[in-house]
Amino acid sequence: MLKDITFGQYYPGNSLLHRTDPRIKLLILVEYLVFVLIASTELAMAATLLFTAFIIAVSGVRFGILIKSVKPLIFVLIFTAVMNLFFTVGEGEPLVAWKFIKIYENGIRNAVLMLLRLLSLVLGTSVIISFTTSPLELTDAIESLLSPLKRIKVPVHEFAMMMSIALRFIPTLIEETNKIVSAQKARCADFESGNILKRIKALIPILIPLFVSAVRRAEELADAMECRCYHGGEGRTKLNVRKTSAGDIVFLVAVTVFAVSVFFLDTVSWSEVTEFCRGIFSK
Amino acid sequence: MSFIEARGVEFSYSPEEEKVINGIDLKIEKGSYVAILGHNGCGKSTLAKLLCGIIMPSEGQILVDGLDTADETKSFDIRKKCGMVFQNPDNQLVASIVEEDVAFAPENLGLPREEIRKRVDLALQTVDMTSYSKHATYKLSGGQKQRIAIAGILAMSPECIIFDEATAMLDPTGRKEIVAAMKKLNREIGITVVTITHYMNEAVEADRIIVMNKGEIIADGTPSEIFSQVERLKSVSLAVPQVTELMYLLEQDGHKLPRGVLHAMDAADVLEAFIGGVDK
Repeated sequence: MLKDITFGQYYPGNSLLHRTDPRIKLLILVEYLVFVLIASTELAMAATLLFTAFIIAVSGVRFGILIKSVKPLIFVLIFTAVMNLFFTVGEGEPLVAWKFIKIYENGIRNAVLMLLRLLSLVLGTSVIISFTTSPLELTDAIESLLSPLKRIKVPVHEFAMMMSIALRFIPTLIEETNKIVSAQKARCADFESGNILKRIKALIPILIPLFVSAVRRAEELADAMECRCYHGGEGRTKLNVRKTSAGDIVFLVAVTVFAVSVFFLDTVSWSEVTEFCRGIFSK
Repeated sequence: MSFIEARGVEFSYSPEEEKVINGIDLKIEKGSYVAILGHNGCGKSTLAKLLCGIIMPSEGQILVDGLDTADETKSFDIRKKCGMVFQNPDNQLVASIVEEDVAFAPENLGLPREEIRKRVDLALQTVDMTSYSKHATYKLSGGQKQRIAIAGILAMSPECIIFDEATAMLDPTGRKEIVAAMKKLNREIGITVVTITHYMNEAVEADRIIVMNKGEIIADGTPSEIFSQVERLKSVSLAVPQVTELMYLLEQDGHKLPRGVLHAMDAADVLEAFIGGVDK
C-alpha cells in the first residue's frame, strides 16, 4: 500500500513537462494551486479541470499510474464530499429533509466542487512536480529559487541536500518497513485486530528496528559522502544546470494569463452566463 | 615510495576499549591488487577506513601517496586519491537517478560541467552501465547498484579504490559482476585495488593476500603462498578455497601433491598428471 503513494516517485520520460525547467514548474505549481483553490464558480472550475486535463495530457504519464496515486486518498475525498453535502446550510428549501439530515442544493454544489478541487490538487501536483521532476532536479530548483536567502545566512544548500536524501531514501525505507512487517508477522505479531490503542502499540516493534536501521544507514551514508569529497555547498558545481529556455518563459506566461482569466471567470456566476447567452440569442 | 604506507598503526574507538587495530605495518604498492582476509571482528573494515582517512589512527601514522591522513588540511586530497566502496549498496547512493549519483563526487570537486559529463560517461562505460544512466537507482539490482557505487568513485579519478566487503550483500551473479569490475579496474586502468573480503574465491584473484587476526597482520604473501598454509588459516577460523581444501585433504591421505593450487582447472591438471603418474 505504502508503495503506491506517489511522493518522490519519478517516472522517467521526455514529455513537455519533463523538459520544462523545474524552477518554472514550481512557479507554475504555485499559480496552479492558487487558481484551483480560488475557483468557486462552475465556469472557473470547468476551466481549472480543463487545465488539469491539459497538463495530464502533456505529461505523458500513464493513466493507470494516476489512478493508483489517487487510490489511497479515496477515503479523504469521499469524507470531504460527504461532510460538505450534509453540513452546508443553503438558502431556500432543503432538497432532502429526513430527521436531522438536511441536504440543500448548495450542499451538492459544494460537495462536487470540493471533490473536483481536491482531485485537481492531487493530480495536478503529482503531474507537474512528482511524476515529471526527479527529486534531485526538484531540490536543485528549490535551492536555486531560495538562493537569495543565502545572503541572510539561511542554510539553503543544507536544506536542499537533506531533502534530496530524504526523498532518495523513501523507497529504501518503505522496502525495509515491509521486510520488518513480514519478519514480525512470521513471529506471530498481530497488526490487524484489537482496538486503535492496541494497533498503535503493535506498530512499536516495527518502528524501533526501522529507526535503528535508519540511523545506521545515515552513518554509513555520511561516510560514503565524505569519501566522495562532500564538504557542503561551497565550491560545488552541477552536472545538470538547468537553463530557462524561451519556451519555459512562454509556458509560464501562458499559465499566468490563464490564472488571471480564471480569477476573472470566478467573479462571473453561472446565472450571469445563462443570462448573457439568453441575451445574445434573443437578439 | 609505496602508494599507501602504514607505520605502527594502532586504533581503538575509545580510550577505554580494546584496540581494534594493534600495531600494523603495511606497504601497498601502486597498481597492485591486494586482498585483506580475516574473519568477523578482526579489524579489517576498521583498517580500510583508516587507509582512506575516514578515521585517524590513535597511534602511528598512515601515508597515502606521501600525505599523512591525520593532517586535516590534506583530507580532501587523500579522498580524491583513495576512494572507497562500501558493503551496503543502498547506503552509499546519494541520488535517485543513476547519472546524478555518479556525478556527485565530481560536483563536490567543483569541476566544470563538461568535465563532469565526460567523467560520468566514462565511469558508467567502465562499469558497463551506460544504458542505465537515466534510470532510478532504487530499481536496480544489488550488483547494478554496487557497480553504480564504483562508477561514483571512479568519476573522482582516484588512484586507489578500497572495497570494504563490497560483495558481501550480493547474490552470486552480483558478486561475479563486482569481482570482474575489480579485475578490470586493476588490469586495464591500472587502479590500485584493495579488497576486503571473507570470500576466498575473491581473494584468489588478487596478486597479494594479507591475513588479519585480532587487529594484527598474521600472514602476507601471494595467494598460493597464503593458501598453502591451510592449518594456519584454519587456526584463525578462515576457510581455504574448495580446490585448495581438496588438495590438502588428499595430501593428508598421504598423496604427494603440490600445495597452493587455487583454480579448479589447475587442480584438474595436477590431478590428471598425478593419476597418470600412478597408473604408470
